[in-house]
Amino acid sequence: MKRRNVFSTVTIILVVVYLLIPLVVTAVYSLFEKWTTLTPERFTLANYAALFTERDFMMSLLRTIIVCIVPIVLTVVLVLLALFVSIIYFPKLEKVVQMLCMLPYMIQGVILSVSIISLYAASPTLLGNRLVMLTGAYCIIILPYIYQGIRNSMHAVNMPMLLEAAEVLGASKLYGFFRVIVPNILSGIMVSSLLAVGIIFGDYVLIRNIAGTSFKNVQIYLFLTMKSSSTKASAVFVIIMITTFVITLIMLNLQGNEGRGKKLKGKKG
Amino acid sequence: MGYIQFENLNKYFGSNHVLIDISLNIERGELATLLGPSGCGKSTLLRCLAGLEEVSDGRITMDGKDITDVPPKKRGIGMVFQQYSLFPNMTVAQNIAFGLNMKKVAKDDIQRKITEIAGIVGLADKLQDYPAQLSGGQQQRVALARAIVTEPKVLLLDEPLSAIDAKLRRNLQIEIRRIQQEFDMTTIFVTHDQDEAMVMSDTIHLFNQGVIEQSGTPTDLYTHPVSKFAASFIGNYNILSAADFEKACGEAVDSPDVAIRPEIVRINIESDDEAARFHLEGTVVGSISHGNLIRYTVRCNGVDINADIMFEKSSLLSMGQTVRLSIRKSNVILI
Repeated sequence: MKRRNVFSTVTIILVVVYLLIPLVVTAVYSLFEKWTTLTPERFTLANYAALFTERDFMMSLLRTIIVCIVPIVLTVVLVLLALFVSIIYFPKLEKVVQMLCMLPYMIQGVILSVSIISLYAASPTLLGNRLVMLTGAYCIIILPYIYQGIRNSMHAVNMPMLLEAAEVLGASKLYGFFRVIVPNILSGIMVSSLLAVGIIFGDYVLIRNIAGTSFKNVQIYLFLTMKSSSTKASAVFVIIMITTFVITLIMLNLQGNEGRGKKLKGKKG
Repeated sequence: MGYIQFENLNKYFGSNHVLIDISLNIERGELATLLGPSGCGKSTLLRCLAGLEEVSDGRITMDGKDITDVPPKKRGIGMVFQQYSLFPNMTVAQNIAFGLNMKKVAKDDIQRKITEIAGIVGLADKLQDYPAQLSGGQQQRVALARAIVTEPKVLLLDEPLSAIDAKLRRNLQIEIRRIQQEFDMTTIFVTHDQDEAMVMSDTIHLFNQGVIEQSGTPTDLYTHPVSKFAASFIGNYNILSAADFEKACGEAVDSPDVAIRPEIVRINIESDDEAARFHLEGTVVGSISHGNLIRYTVRCNGVDINADIMFEKSSLLSMGQTVRLSIRKSNVILI
C-alpha cells in the first residue's frame, strides 16, 4: 500500500514537472534581456511594463476575451435549450442531436474557415461580417465539448424526475428547468466552458483565416511580436497563461459556490 | 359520487395496454392504497391523476370538475416520489418553500408555514441543511413536508417508503397516517407491500395487469379474497385446486380453487375429531422462521399446506414428524 502511494506521488510529481517546465522556462526567458549562452543576462521587467502600457496589446487581450465569451455563452444557451426540448419532449431525437453536436470533432480548422468564408463572405447581411463569422466558427468548434459536458451532467441529475417534482409543485417546465436543473448542472457547464476557453485562447487558424491580421486579438499580436522580439513574445505568452488561469479560477469559484450543497454529500447515511 | 373519480380510464404505452377500463371512486379524506406487483399499472394511474401521463381514453374528475386535460401545475395536487426528488441545490427550507413561492404566497406566510410544517415532520433543526446532508428518512420527511405545505386537494404517495430500511419504514408509515388524519387530506398511496397497505389504508384497490382485481377495506381483502391472485397476493394464503383439496381433506368443493390462511390451520400432535373441522394427517417437510411466527409446511397426501404457529420453544416440530392438521370448515374460502 505504502509502495503504491510512493509510486503515485512520484508519477504525479513527474507529470506536473513535465507540464510546468515549458511554462517556467518561457516565464524565465521573458524576464531577461539577452540569452547569449545557457545563462541569461540582465534581469528586466521591461517587457511586461511595455505590454501593460501598450494600448494595442491591452485591446487585443480584451478582444480575445470578448471573442471567447460570446460564443461560449451562445453555445451553452443553445445546447441547454436543445437538450431541454429533446430530453423532455422528443427523447427519440436525442441521438440525432448528439450526432449533430459531435460532427464538428471531425472538421479541421482550415476546412471550417475556408467553408465559412466561401459561404458567407459575399453575403450583404449580418452574416457577411467577419466577426459574426468568427463567432459562428467558434460556436461550431466548441459545440462538441459543451454538448458532452452538459449532457452528461443532465443525465447525472435525473432531469425528468426533478422536472416532474417541480411541475407538480406548480412550476412550468421551463421555469423548473432554469430554477432546478441548470443550478444542478452548473459544474458540467463550467467544466465544458473551461475547455472551450482553452480551445478559443489557443486558436490561431480560424482567426487568421476568417478575421485576418486586421482584427488583432492576442494570438495575432503574439504572432506579430515573435517577428520583432522573442523575449517580448514570451511575456505575451505568460500573460495569456495568467489570463486563462484567472478565468479558470473565477469559474471554479462560481461553481464552488453553487455546488456547496452537493459537496457535503455523504455526511450522513 | 366520489371526491376523485376515474371513469373508464385507459392508458396505452405504444401497443402495451397498461390501464384497462379503470373505474374507481375515492372519497374525501380517505387514504386509498393502490396495491399490486411491479408493472401492474398502479403508478401509471397515480401519474395520470397527477397529470404527468396523458390519458389515452376516459375521464378523471376531482371535486366534480373534469381534470383529465388540466396541466399538472394547475391540479392542486401534492406528490411524494419514490426517490424523494428533492432539489439538491436548495436547502430544506427552500425545498419546502418552492411550492409556496409558485403559489405566490406572501413571504411572512411562507416563513410561518415552513416553521409549522418542519415542526410537524420533526425537521425544525434541519431547515438550513441541504438534502445531501440528510438521511433517507429525513429526506422523505422533507418530501412529505414539501408536498403537504401547499395544502393540496389530494396527496399522492408513489412508493415513498420503498427505499427506506424496515424499522424506519414502520415509523414513517405511522407518521404519514397520523399527518394524513391530522390534515384530513385525501391521499392515494401506491405500494407493492401488502403489510404496508394493511397498516395504512382505509381502502385498498388491488391491481393486477392493468385492472382492479378487488377493492375493499384491509379486513375485507384479507378475509375475503375474490380471486386466486388476490389470495396469493394478500396474506400468504394456501391456494389449493379443487382436486388437491379433495385429496388432502377428503371433501369435494364446488369451486376451481380454495384458499386457506396459514394462521387458521391448527397443528396437533394428538388427534382431534371436532366435526366442524377438516382433519388432515401429514409430515412436516419445511419450516421458516418469521420472528414471532414459524411457518411449517406439512405434506398431506402429497399436497403441501402452510400453517403458521406462534413461536414456542417447547412445541417446535422436527422435519419428518407426523402431525395432524385441523381447519375450521367455515374458514375455507372458495375462489
